[in-house]
Amino acid sequence: MSSIEGMFKALEAGSKHVLIKRFTLFYPEQKLKFVGDGYQFDPKEGVGIAGYRGRHILFHDKCTGCQLCSIMCEGIAEAISMVKIDKEYKQNKKGIMPQIDYGKCVFCGLCVDACPFYALFMTDDYELSAYTKEHLIYTPDQLSIKPNYKGEYVIDINEFGATHKKDIK
Amino acid sequence: MSDIERLNSMLPNSLSVEESREKGILTLSVGPQHPGSGHFRLIIKVDGDIIVDAEPDPGYVHRGEEKMCEYRNFMQNIPHLERPVIADSCSILYPYCLAIEELLNIEAPRRAKFIRVIMSEINKMIFELYWLGIYGIFLGHSTMFMWPMADRELLIDLAELASGARVTHAYFVPGGVRNDLPDIFKDRAVRQLKYFRNRLNEYSKVFYENPLFIDRTKGVGILSREDAINLGVTGPVLRGSNVPYDIRKVEPYDVYDELNFDVKYMKDGDCFARAYVPYLEMYESVDLILQALEKMPDGPVRAKLPPNPKGKVGEVFKRVEAGRGELAYYVISDGTQKPYRVKLSVPSFRAIPAMRKLLIGARLADMPAIYWGLNYWPVEADR
Repeated sequence: MSSIEGMFKALEAGSKHVLIKRFTLFYPEQKLKFVGDGYQFDPKEGVGIAGYRGRHILFHDKCTGCQLCSIMCEGIAEAISMVKIDKEYKQNKKGIMPQIDYGKCVFCGLCVDACPFYALFMTDDYELSAYTKEHLIYTPDQLSIKPNYKGEYVIDINEFGATHKKDIK
Repeated sequence: MSDIERLNSMLPNSLSVEESREKGILTLSVGPQHPGSGHFRLIIKVDGDIIVDAEPDPGYVHRGEEKMCEYRNFMQNIPHLERPVIADSCSILYPYCLAIEELLNIEAPRRAKFIRVIMSEINKMIFELYWLGIYGIFLGHSTMFMWPMADRELLIDLAELASGARVTHAYFVPGGVRNDLPDIFKDRAVRQLKYFRNRLNEYSKVFYENPLFIDRTKGVGILSREDAINLGVTGPVLRGSNVPYDIRKVEPYDVYDELNFDVKYMKDGDCFARAYVPYLEMYESVDLILQALEKMPDGPVRAKLPPNPKGKVGEVFKRVEAGRGELAYYVISDGTQKPYRVKLSVPSFRAIPAMRKLLIGARLADMPAIYWGLNYWPVEADR
């Protein structure tokens, strides 16, 4: 093939994309939709439930302070430390619950796999930036709050190419 | 003759300082802050614009992965082992899981094996697209930087759907995978992969048939079949030099023996062949995933394991085909909850002798094409 022909072929392939919609996602205005409510783990079955692995959610009424998540994290990121809590819970005699440092967490979710009491799951909230390192440390109270992440956009493929669109369902 | 002596005899001697001064040879240090290469330094000596000597200098990002493995139990090793290649994180974890499964005497369920094949192929494509994008910008072709980076999103979306993370998935575990695929996965995967296959045809038009790319790579850095075998390169580099050798065919693991695919290879052994083999393999990967999605049975995805299992005394050697070539793990267990020794044999490290061989005698302008064509990943090579 001559080089002139090759050049025109390349130009033709490229110029088609002037008319096609862009694939770019305009992030803060448009957010991606994830499946489920975040990664969860079912200790009875021994398998996880698919979902995005963002920041954790801690259920105070289920956590027993057994430290299994903290022990798991010791060899991974050392992000979880057990801290005293003010409130008293029947199932939590020691009164300790995990506190997670998101400056260290790698979001592997193995702490969720380690929890046998359905107390620690992950959510699809990934917007965790903070001005200081101290603000990245989430106390048990902060972890118990359900995040309000609203992702609506999914990849849409039609005859004109791929783009992002709002999921109607 | 020992292996190292044989290797040295094949490579030209390096020049001494006095010799280079006499001949008017300039020494250049490429890296370690080179924007494309990552943390890796190449000390090259040039005579005019001909490279007369090249000294690869790896080791800037050595993290001691192998030693770290000895202090963590089988499960805790998972997140840090995928850090060397975050773009191909399932493939680097794959042989580890196969090895630990043998040490723990468990077998992954059949559905998990299919899921692992699917995720490994998706990751391989994610890596190859990233590599292709950087190759494009190395050769001054910015369209080929944008396109693969955008189409990578289609595959990252699938990986995220299955594992819940965009890059470091931590998805494979000894005994299967962490979670089952969501219900919408199959539909989305078929739709996005078919679209992706059409996009690959466009890559050919804009990049592989582009005279600019052909002029930069055809006949540049020819690695002969004999040299490729003797210098120990693996993966697309080896297959680019007329050696149809693929671990998926030679030593099938999981369910690769039940799926139909060809080993793609090229005869020329030049930079173009090394760039074209991954491109052909992406077609194969798409077909493999579509086949696996069809054949995948229902059932459990993770074998039951005690919380902190103990391995049997023994040693295992397992290898898989990753995006860059053959990736092997050698694990010794002394019967405790932690491995006694983990040794990684990574494809990038094996490209270093070939890099020196190819760079000597080449022009300075061909250095990016040769360097990146070898599929060298500094972080993985240093481990």
